[in-house]
Amino acid sequence: MSKTKISFIIILMMIMVSACGAAPAVTEAPLVEVSGDLVIYSGRTEPLLQPVIDVFKAKYPNVEVLLKAGSNSELANALLEEQANPQADVFITTELFTVQSLAQDGIFQSYPPVGADQLPAEFLGTDNLWTGLTRRARVIIYNADLVSQDELPTSIFDLTDQKWKGQIAAAGSTNGSMQAQIAAMWQLIGEAETEAWLNGLIVNDVTFFGGHTDVRKAVGSGEFKLGLVNHYYYYLQKAEGSNVGIIFPDQGEGQIGLITNATAAAVVNGAPHLSAAQAFLDFLVSPEGQKLFAEQNYEYPLLPGVEVHGDVQRLEGFRFADVDVVEAAQDFEVTFDLMEKVALP
Amino acid sequence: METTHTHRLNLLWLKSNPISPRLAIAAGLVALFVAVPLIYIFIRALGAEPEAWQRLFQTRIWKLLGNTLVLVIAVTSGTLLTGVSMAWFTERTDMPGRKFFRWMLALPLAVPAYIGGIVHLALLRPRGGYIPQVLESIFGQPVPTPSPIGFWGAAFILTLFTYPYVYLLSAAAFRSLHASLEEAARTFGRSPFQTLFQVTLPALRPGLAAGALLVALDILAEYGTVALLRYETFSSAIFVQLSGRYDRSAASILSGILVALAILILWSELRLQGQARYTQMESNWRPAPPVMLGKWHIPALLLVTCVVSASLLLPVIVLTVWSLQAFLDPKTLTTVFHIGSQGFGSYVWNSLWSSGLAALMAVIFSLPVALLSVRYPNWFTRFISRFCQVGYAIPGVVIALSLVLLVNRLLPFLYATPFVVVIAYVLRHMPQAVRASESALNQLSPSLEEAARTLGRTSFQTFAQVTLPLILPGLMAGGSLVFLTSLKELPATLLLRPAGFDTLAVRVWMWATEGFYSQAAPVALLLVLASAFPLYFLLRREQIFK
Repeated sequence: MSKTKISFIIILMMIMVSACGAAPAVTEAPLVEVSGDLVIYSGRTEPLLQPVIDVFKAKYPNVEVLLKAGSNSELANALLEEQANPQADVFITTELFTVQSLAQDGIFQSYPPVGADQLPAEFLGTDNLWTGLTRRARVIIYNADLVSQDELPTSIFDLTDQKWKGQIAAAGSTNGSMQAQIAAMWQLIGEAETEAWLNGLIVNDVTFFGGHTDVRKAVGSGEFKLGLVNHYYYYLQKAEGSNVGIIFPDQGEGQIGLITNATAAAVVNGAPHLSAAQAFLDFLVSPEGQKLFAEQNYEYPLLPGVEVHGDVQRLEGFRFADVDVVEAAQDFEVTFDLMEKVALP
Repeated sequence: METTHTHRLNLLWLKSNPISPRLAIAAGLVALFVAVPLIYIFIRALGAEPEAWQRLFQTRIWKLLGNTLVLVIAVTSGTLLTGVSMAWFTERTDMPGRKFFRWMLALPLAVPAYIGGIVHLALLRPRGGYIPQVLESIFGQPVPTPSPIGFWGAAFILTLFTYPYVYLLSAAAFRSLHASLEEAARTFGRSPFQTLFQVTLPALRPGLAAGALLVALDILAEYGTVALLRYETFSSAIFVQLSGRYDRSAASILSGILVALAILILWSELRLQGQARYTQMESNWRPAPPVMLGKWHIPALLLVTCVVSASLLLPVIVLTVWSLQAFLDPKTLTTVFHIGSQGFGSYVWNSLWSSGLAALMAVIFSLPVALLSVRYPNWFTRFISRFCQVGYAIPGVVIALSLVLLVNRLLPFLYATPFVVVIAYVLRHMPQAVRASESALNQLSPSLEEAARTLGRTSFQTFAQVTLPLILPGLMAGGSLVFLTSLKELPATLLLRPAGFDTLAVRVWMWATEGFYSQAAPVALLLVLASAFPLYFLLRREQIFK
């Protein structure tokens, strides 16, 4: 009995050892094998993705990376249009609602990248149809030369306050992070109040830019006092030497909490270059890829054990807005109706 | 006079040569090629859900219509004022340096308006621009400066970068104006000022109207500048719709209305063009004596210098300074030189070959249409020729929308290839090729072709051995124009480009809208230089540069 038990354990250990030995061999083999094109549709803007592509390219010199960057919804439209004739291998978004709703439309194929099992479950798509990459928070950036500490807003609802009229910049209706914020608010406070907030912004002469880089630069230069951005834009602007500050809003009792979202990547169903796509996802989730996002762009890595950038305010201790991704993705369409109804620029 | 003569010869030719069926079929196919995207958009617009129409009519359409029309009117008036006055200075006065200023006033055509917009925005942006910052550091407090954002900014920038159309046409008209016309007016006791308004300007009207309507169509289709300066028009609203939700009906409706608007303008332009014949030069033409500016020399020079500075020198200088900054910063430099894993060379090459191929295709396609309408003038051939000019009226975003939908359904193997981008260029810029080919053929007497036929050449041989060599310079001009405008094209390229297919225009736009000016600058400078070459070739053909 005990002999068979021991031999069983030995065999089991051998399998485990060989598995451990085999595992690196499996992940390292493609390093030389993967070649050809890799077509990436990215809702992340180019400057925020290029450093990651550079390192990936150094690891896989035979892969030709073809990048098309645009807004999440523009590329989502392209993916839907191309469903019968897929062109892209990998889709990267700046929020989860677009990937989730495309996943429901059958645009992606299941692929769990190596190490994805370590990611928090809420940042993984059903059946591994998408994988979260980094987390980001919606914050208010302010120009510290123009706004004193005692008058700082504490809530995104303060942005509709008359005293900031004409002094606020934000991203407009084509921006994925802004769309996602509106979708999240829809779920948190309902249609009527979300509409009232958007109308409040418009009445308050908020200037809506196409993207957040413009917002951070405009606040940094003093063109506006406040800006509604993702947290890393504050750090990017600070790194350029501007005297700017950051507010993590809505932390009080009864307030909606900090709205966060995540970037995600997915392998397209029918991807023409599957092995390159999988290698790229593996790389994005790997400690090396995660570290690049954290170090170069001040984002919150999702892979446990990868440190946030030393300057970045850690998320522990904040109250978060509680948003259900699947539900918000289903309501995403009405968000667009609402933006059109209030004529958000 | 020449024109009527050729026309009569054409009619004679027609009698002895019945329309070749092959030519008619070729021209018909070209017209079909042009028609399909247009008709498709109308079908999609009309087939949209009534709720979509209702929603748009309740919310957006009136505001967009107002915005678009006001901008079109403002920019057209602005270009008329600038273009005609500049042409008057260089053609009708003794202002020094006229020859130099002629070039300087025409060359802004090589600067795409969105690049001009980027430069002026960086200079003038309220509080954040270079000029407000310098003023603040001098005076110690913010000094109010005009903002380039919104309606006035968009009108200002678009005027600065489209007035050369009007300038060139009115300069040519001033040139060909008969001296005796004004002399007669002066003899009858009109002051020089009265003569200008009662005689000179009315005589210029056909040329001016053609220029103004060209500007108007350009503004209807403009995307980059209005998006940059945050002024919403039909074109930018369609772009937003296309990159927004997955619902093509709203975009189709807006496109349908925009195209209808543009066709209306195009139709009036074609009518005016038909009446524009009487500016033909006659053999006893002599130039009118220039107006002596006297003490007005300095103000005149200042004014012209201001226009040249704002529309040409300033953009080029700022782009050069930014480019130098980029070259001095190794990090920026490496970014400029690769995207994805594509390098600088790849998007320069992409720009050149796609625009070059579009130019070649547009010229080839224009030939049967032009041959048919010039050699066999009747209502049907004229209709085909007019129809092939409808591309003027289909803005880039609309062509993109229609091609995305059509190609993916009917020609999936072409989808997401650079050829779709080339097709968009051809559709959009075909009118320029058709007009150039028609005018080249009009100058060629059909009796030459007649002679070749009499000597036993087939119609194809005649075309290849006689007609083609003689009209080649004219065709080259048409091709250069298509090349130049394709090089600058932005919205259709943005929407249709496959992954990894970047052009100079796309790179400039992607970086500049992210605020990375020093990265965008070397590329923008290169785009301006690349546009300057075909433009130089085109301008050399103009009367005023001879």
